[in-house]
Amino acid sequence: MRLLIVEDEDRLAGIVKAQMRAAGFVVDVAGSADDAVAVLEVTNYDAAVLDLGLPDRDGVSVLTAARGMGKTLPILILTARDAIEDRVAGLNAGADDYLTKPFAMAELIARVQALLRRPGGVLGITLEAGNLRLDTIGRELTIGSVPVRLSRQELAVIEQMMRRFGRIVPKAVLEEKLYGHDEEPESNTIPVHVHHLRRQMQGARASLTIHTVRGVGYILAEAPP
Amino acid sequence: MTGRIRSLQLRLTLELTALFVISSALALGGLIYNASLTADSLADRDLGLRAEDLAAHVVREDGGAPRLDLPPGLMQAYTTANAVFAVRDKEGRLIAASTPEFGSASARWPAGDGDPTYFQLSKWGTLGQDYAGLSVQTASAAGPISVAVAQRAGSDQLVHAILREFVIDTGWYVPPFAAITLLLAVYRVRRSLRPLRAASDRARHIGPEAISLRLPVTDVPAEALPLVTTVNRALDRLEQGFMVQRRFTADAAHQLRTPLAIITARLDTLPGNGQIEALREEVARMNRLVEQLLCVARLDSLALDVTQSVDLHPIAAEVVGSMAHLALAAGKSIALTGDERPVMIAGNAPAIADALRNLIENALAYTPAGTEVIVEVAADGTVSVSDSGPGVPAEDRLRIFDRFWRGQGSTRGGAGLGLPIVGEIVKAHGASVLVEDGAAQGARFTMRFALHRTVKANVTPARISPAV
Repeated sequence: MRLLIVEDEDRLAGIVKAQMRAAGFVVDVAGSADDAVAVLEVTNYDAAVLDLGLPDRDGVSVLTAARGMGKTLPILILTARDAIEDRVAGLNAGADDYLTKPFAMAELIARVQALLRRPGGVLGITLEAGNLRLDTIGRELTIGSVPVRLSRQELAVIEQMMRRFGRIVPKAVLEEKLYGHDEEPESNTIPVHVHHLRRQMQGARASLTIHTVRGVGYILAEAPP
Repeated sequence: MTGRIRSLQLRLTLELTALFVISSALALGGLIYNASLTADSLADRDLGLRAEDLAAHVVREDGGAPRLDLPPGLMQAYTTANAVFAVRDKEGRLIAASTPEFGSASARWPAGDGDPTYFQLSKWGTLGQDYAGLSVQTASAAGPISVAVAQRAGSDQLVHAILREFVIDTGWYVPPFAAITLLLAVYRVRRSLRPLRAASDRARHIGPEAISLRLPVTDVPAEALPLVTTVNRALDRLEQGFMVQRRFTADAAHQLRTPLAIITARLDTLPGNGQIEALREEVARMNRLVEQLLCVARLDSLALDVTQSVDLHPIAAEVVGSMAHLALAAGKSIALTGDERPVMIAGNAPAIADALRNLIENALAYTPAGTEVIVEVAADGTVSVSDSGPGVPAEDRLRIFDRFWRGQGSTRGGAGLGLPIVGEIVKAHGASVLVEDGAAQGARFTMRFALHRTVKANVTPARISPAV
């Protein structure tokens, strides 16, 4: 898979490049908006990581240019926390995700992989998190090496949790994924599914568990020892 | 006290009082002196006129001897013993006299040439009265004659009485006038000092929190204006220095960000072990600190647009969601309770998110492992964060939001910038933040925003991340 990193800070670009390579990507680095637009024109990348603070122009212009060329590749933007309006602007301009600087490398890799696994994304169909592995086509969850039998709704829940491993999954998102638009979500079915999933995972000695963040949603994270 | 009187007002009052006493005494003394002189000269003039009057009535008899032919009306004036006269010819022979005694007595004061001769008679005549008189040479129809006229001393009493009354009456006016003048002076001083008092009130509010305030110059008396403007100029220079300092902090924080990002990334490439984990934690803390410094610098330099109509609920949900992993990693939990319906306020969504993030961070730092930090959004426009930590001592509750205050206790895992950031953001919103005891234990921080009454149909989306 081919990845473009647009980052003007050489040392940082170097480290990201090395790490993404280690994660199995073929990586190109562009140090300016002009360079980035130039290489995007001639190369079909599978994803791009875009720093908004570029020396020549705003990174958002690269995004607009790429979309203008008809490129649909997922683009993750890197922003500083103090440029929160940039982030909104970036998302409005067609970015797929964002990460605030400074970021953990593992987080960046996970986010890029998640983008590639989105419907239409190029990455494989298997999601992995901790010792959980989910085949999104075969609809099968294995914990360690043990297959776990789950209902359709439970599979949908764990899939969402694994796609956003380590991040919050709002209740609203789960409801949206579990029920069609014309289906009225029953108010306490999701907690029931989560509760059941949690017990199954515990029984199978999963390294992760689903934590409830009351009032907000759920988060898949390390199980307490 | 140095023994000197420091109050301008008191000094002015005392000095004006002294001036008044001295000048009144001088004025009155002078007046009395002049009045008595005037009275005397009035009496002299009266006598002179009488003498001329008498001379006008001296006629020459057919036989050639001069004679006084006084009309009865005038004669009447000399029949009482109040006034006496004697008229002599130039050889000193008596032509006429009011009384024979005065006729003989007047021989003692021959009139000189030109200037009249003044004389006094003590306890004289039938009444035993004092008399004052003059004798003068004058021309008449019968040739030059000399006339001596005397008046009882008491008869000018009226003039003296009038003068005395006048002086006393005038004297009465002096104390009220002095008092009014003093009051006027004091009032004027007070009035003139009022702008200075306003300036000192303003000065009390000037501090690191409000460096752009200046002393008001309107109505300041011209005498004090140079001081006020000079102080203002000094404040300008201080503010400039302060701004340079702030900009330096912002620049330094900004410059630190890239190396920190590189350290973070490099640490991530190293195989994890205890040491590396500890380093990662420290770097994360440092990252957060740099972020907070930048936030402070941003709040200092940019006016926050707080006019957007924002829904508190999704902001709280996003912030709580984004911080859940931090809570879990520390063995704590976090929850959002309260109203799920939109709570619309006028504000700036990213700034409110920042404030809430700092409050939650603070709560997570103090709440013990195994406990829950509860964030609550209420329909009245409040967002509160409750923890189960040690709480905040009552005496610190107002100051912990003050950027330039340092508490006694250490700030856990931070530079103590979090709560001041909350304070600044809340202040920019015209909102309030307070800390109180939690329902059971710990502290409860509450931000209260003004509700946005007229909710517009087109509401600015408060959600700032995709699909979160």
